[in-house]
Amino acid sequence: MNAMLEVDSLRLSVPTGHVIQGRKQVLDGIDFTVQRGSATAYLGPNGAGKTSTFRILCGLCRPDAGSVRFAGEAVRGGLPARRFGFLPEQPYFYRNLTPHELLSGLGRLSGMAGGQLAGHIDDWAGRLGFEAVLHQPMHACSKGQVQRVGLAQALLHEPEFVLLDEPLSGLDPLGRERVRQVLHEVHAQGATLLFSSHILNDAESMCDAVVVLDQGRVVHQGDIADMLGTSKRWAVVIEGDAHALPAAERVDLGHGRTRLLVDGEQERDRLMDALRERSGCRLLALEQDRQTLEQAFVKLLQGGGRD
Amino acid sequence: MPGLLGALQIARMSFLDALRNRMLYGVLVFVVLLLLTALAVASVTMGRTELLLLDLGLGAISIIANLMAIVLAVQSLQQEHTERTLYVLLTRLPSRGWYILGKFIGLAVVLGGAVVLMHLILAALVAFFGGVHWLSVAQSLLATLFEIWMVLAFSLVFAHASSLFLGILLSFTMDIAGRFTSTIHQFSAQSDQPLLRWTGDVVYYLLPNLEAANLRNGAGDISSFGADRVTAVAMYGSMEIALLLALSAWIFSRRNLS
Repeated sequence: MNAMLEVDSLRLSVPTGHVIQGRKQVLDGIDFTVQRGSATAYLGPNGAGKTSTFRILCGLCRPDAGSVRFAGEAVRGGLPARRFGFLPEQPYFYRNLTPHELLSGLGRLSGMAGGQLAGHIDDWAGRLGFEAVLHQPMHACSKGQVQRVGLAQALLHEPEFVLLDEPLSGLDPLGRERVRQVLHEVHAQGATLLFSSHILNDAESMCDAVVVLDQGRVVHQGDIADMLGTSKRWAVVIEGDAHALPAAERVDLGHGRTRLLVDGEQERDRLMDALRERSGCRLLALEQDRQTLEQAFVKLLQGGGRD
Repeated sequence: MPGLLGALQIARMSFLDALRNRMLYGVLVFVVLLLLTALAVASVTMGRTELLLLDLGLGAISIIANLMAIVLAVQSLQQEHTERTLYVLLTRLPSRGWYILGKFIGLAVVLGGAVVLMHLILAALVAFFGGVHWLSVAQSLLATLFEIWMVLAFSLVFAHASSLFLGILLSFTMDIAGRFTSTIHQFSAQSDQPLLRWTGDVVYYLLPNLEAANLRNGAGDISSFGADRVTAVAMYGSMEIALLLALSAWIFSRRNLS
């Protein structure tokens, strides 16, 4: 893989106050790289500077210092218009236009011809599940439907780089599943994704790389697998009396269920043998015990570092 | 030319959005009621009902069209910013100036259509009571169109203010000031103080002169029509609009959107 996006020493401050103006440092020299073809989660607590970074990348505001390179070329005033798609956080569009009219206009703005556009719009409406409101005014659409229309406009012109600010916010569980599936497909077709999200389970399932931001600084970047770490621990969930079973640690899950933790494959196999010999216990789950992205994220920001 | 095509797409979307704005229809109903009121007032005058109706009607249309231009321009731009529609539009355009041009064209077409419609309703009412000098009314209509397009253009300058209220207030103040630029210039020219004369000159050349686009007084008189007057208004209006749009685009391109 080679770099699709290179952000170098980006700094941004914003004015604060009304009469006497101060400055607040929003981005304090951030550096990160997004590899071509990757799906990168851009994570951080509220106010970390995620949206500000996206605004700079889109050319909506100018950094105080630093540089951005896109596909090896220096970027001034935003990424090249037709090569990327952008979904802002909680967008709202022209209230009196229908999603079809909006997507048609935005598609033409992205250089798409009328003939191919109609088919593309119907296709995206079907894939993202808003075909029922395609010809209704936007003011009659729910928040989740507007979010799906927003995602469709970002993907409509099949950009090679997709920038999404909280793409899963405002969606119901079914909507989230559908959007996750669509983003998987877009990624599989070769697009590079960079998105921010506070829903870390989704980020974990969709991304292969991660950049973590805190107080305007990058505190971690790399493969998501590295951040989660590899563990030699195994977790076994059983139903029944687990007192006599060999385990390094046991957690009562209630309703007669217990989570047993063992170190290494040898201990795991010994536990399995013991379990087979006992008729009163039933195996419910067996998995490698590694931390979730959410646990790793919290640990990182609380100064715990990585495992 | 992707910039111009982009501006035309922005214009198309702004036009469709503004055309379906309920405020527009509320205003049109209000204008019809106002014209009917003018009709009632004019009918109690002694003779030349149609002239009084024309004067009242053209004045009312001008005031309402000015207010519509200010509110539509400022509200539209501010709303697109707060609702982040602006972000997805600007990321598709080569420069922000095309957005301003597209917004102006879209709103100018909607406002122009509304003004033409209001003039047609008025002309039909006037024709009911007496003769209409169609050329003079058309001349007044064309001048009014340039007047509201100038108002629209400077409202797009003030639409970049930090709030909706401030944007409307500044635009409204400019609308009033634009009626008095000639008067201020005439007064200052008579002063003995060079500084005052210079200030008067600056105000005259800096602010748009909306009274220059007022040909409503001659709308009831066939002799008032003159192709040179129409051409002068069109040339002055076009130049002023181009300058104001360039100013708006310059301010907008320097602004950080947060």
